[in-house]
Amino acid sequence: MRLWALVRNTFREAVRDKVLLTLLVIAFLVTAGARLIPSLAAGEEVKIIKDLGLKSMTLFCVLIAVLVGGRLVYREIEKRTIFVILAKPVARWQFVLGKYLGLMLVLVTSVAIMTAWFALFMTLSRIPVQPQMLLQVLLLVFELAVITAIAVLFSTFVTPISSAVFTFAIYFTGSLSRSLLYWGTKDRPVLVQAVSRFCYYLLPNLQNFDISGSVVHNVPVNYAQVGLTVVYALVYVSAVLLIATLVFRRRNF
Amino acid sequence: MPQPIQVDKLSKRYRSGFLIREIHALDSVSFDVGQGEIFGFLGPNGAGKTTTIKILVGLTRPTSGSAKVMGKSPDLVAGKRELGFLPESPYFYDHLSAREFLELSGQLNGVPRRELRERVTRMLATVNLTRAADARLRGFSRGMLQRVGIAQALLHDPKLVILDEPMGGLDPIGRKEFRDIILGLRDSGRTVFFSSHILQDIEMICDRVAILVAGRLVSLGRLDEILATEIDTFEVTVRNISEDALRTGGVKAQQILPGDDKLLVVVRSEGDVEELLRLLAAQDGKLVSLVPRVRTLEDFFMSKVRSQGAAAGGPGTGGAR
Repeated sequence: MRLWALVRNTFREAVRDKVLLTLLVIAFLVTAGARLIPSLAAGEEVKIIKDLGLKSMTLFCVLIAVLVGGRLVYREIEKRTIFVILAKPVARWQFVLGKYLGLMLVLVTSVAIMTAWFALFMTLSRIPVQPQMLLQVLLLVFELAVITAIAVLFSTFVTPISSAVFTFAIYFTGSLSRSLLYWGTKDRPVLVQAVSRFCYYLLPNLQNFDISGSVVHNVPVNYAQVGLTVVYALVYVSAVLLIATLVFRRRNF
Repeated sequence: MPQPIQVDKLSKRYRSGFLIREIHALDSVSFDVGQGEIFGFLGPNGAGKTTTIKILVGLTRPTSGSAKVMGKSPDLVAGKRELGFLPESPYFYDHLSAREFLELSGQLNGVPRRELRERVTRMLATVNLTRAADARLRGFSRGMLQRVGIAQALLHDPKLVILDEPMGGLDPIGRKEFRDIILGLRDSGRTVFFSSHILQDIEMICDRVAILVAGRLVSLGRLDEILATEIDTFEVTVRNISEDALRTGGVKAQQILPGDDKLLVVVRSEGDVEELLRLLAAQDGKLVSLVPRVRTLEDFFMSKVRSQGAAAGGPGTGGAR
């Protein structure tokens, strides 16, 4: 009941926050804007609409995860709302997990709304909605779970701006993780190789969550790889949240 | 049954600034608070009151020493089940209404779902917020927020209530209502620990007080004992003797105030009283009354603060936290 109360409060806070609403409205407008693209690229309409729809959904959800997640715990400390909550029989791990799951609920809801909107848009544009597209949406949710966990970790000890910068840096590096490994193995000094390998293993491998290429070009998806990616996300999120809890437990207010 | 609050040699040091200067916020503070007591915690700004309270509710850990709340470490969730807490200048989730916030507080405190609505409605009425129950906290005044804070601290019917500057922001009617709530808590066997700058409130309702200055406990005891041992002056009313006779007779009077056929003589010490009585006997004067004037809590508090400030070479070795 306590954990659910924290989850519900975080969800309610985000829903009543204008930032979330603004991002959702922009996401809708961008998706609708895809209607203008076909006239510029004859023959590639379907691919462009699918690609733009999936990419804009990813971008706006990542923005929500980073911007809202990065201030999730910090704002509680800054506004001193945390004093009242932690003086109640709430363990610190419950607080961190409650905030995390609350934001995940927001993101899942946002993804569901955007997916429904995108599916409606595709149907109206006479483009068939493939099952792979829903698989990509599922992987997006797990990718967001990883990014949100990282943002929450940072929010336990740095300001929202720093948290956003660090999380975005990790997101972009993680999205290029295979290139990072490749760059480090190609006749580079030993130190560079070590750093690239270290970053590759430490930072989340977010490229695994992107099957939009297969979705857009109707290529069959490797389901085993998808399953492994989901397990990877769960393990990564657990590890990051554990670190976030350990950091948060040591804090004095 | 353990004491509701046990504090033993509690010390807290902070590191601050470029040169990593160490600030002693608390220095070996010890006291207990007994079951059913109203305990007042006094001290000037930066004395360490809020630091002590933060340790008691598990927001901060001490550098050394220990604190126990309802017999358990404040770090443990179990120790907080019987605790209600109102922080200084409270901030609550301003996206929620007063009712929603109290429902959240009840859920976090483990109030059964079937009782929650009724308790929230009753508590809103207790703190006179029924009409504003469904308004967002964002638009509340400081006094109204303080009422919400008191409501969330008492909603789950805790055995121990810790309040940090609870009278801040309340108008005189609010303060009176709040004093009645605290006295009601004591009558029902609850323990109340609160800090306040408003000495009058402490004097009116506290059973015992502790005075903290620059992180050190300088006084602890029952309010009546503390003040009874601190007689400030004696007011002696006499008759059949002139003011001149008193002055020439060598009485060390701090003040002589003439009345109809009497004189009110204010003297400082018991020795001065004896001197006056000897003179009265020699001059055939009459003693009408002899009243020792006990110090107020404010007098006592100020003398402690001044003496500690002088001993430490100046006030404020601690810091506001």
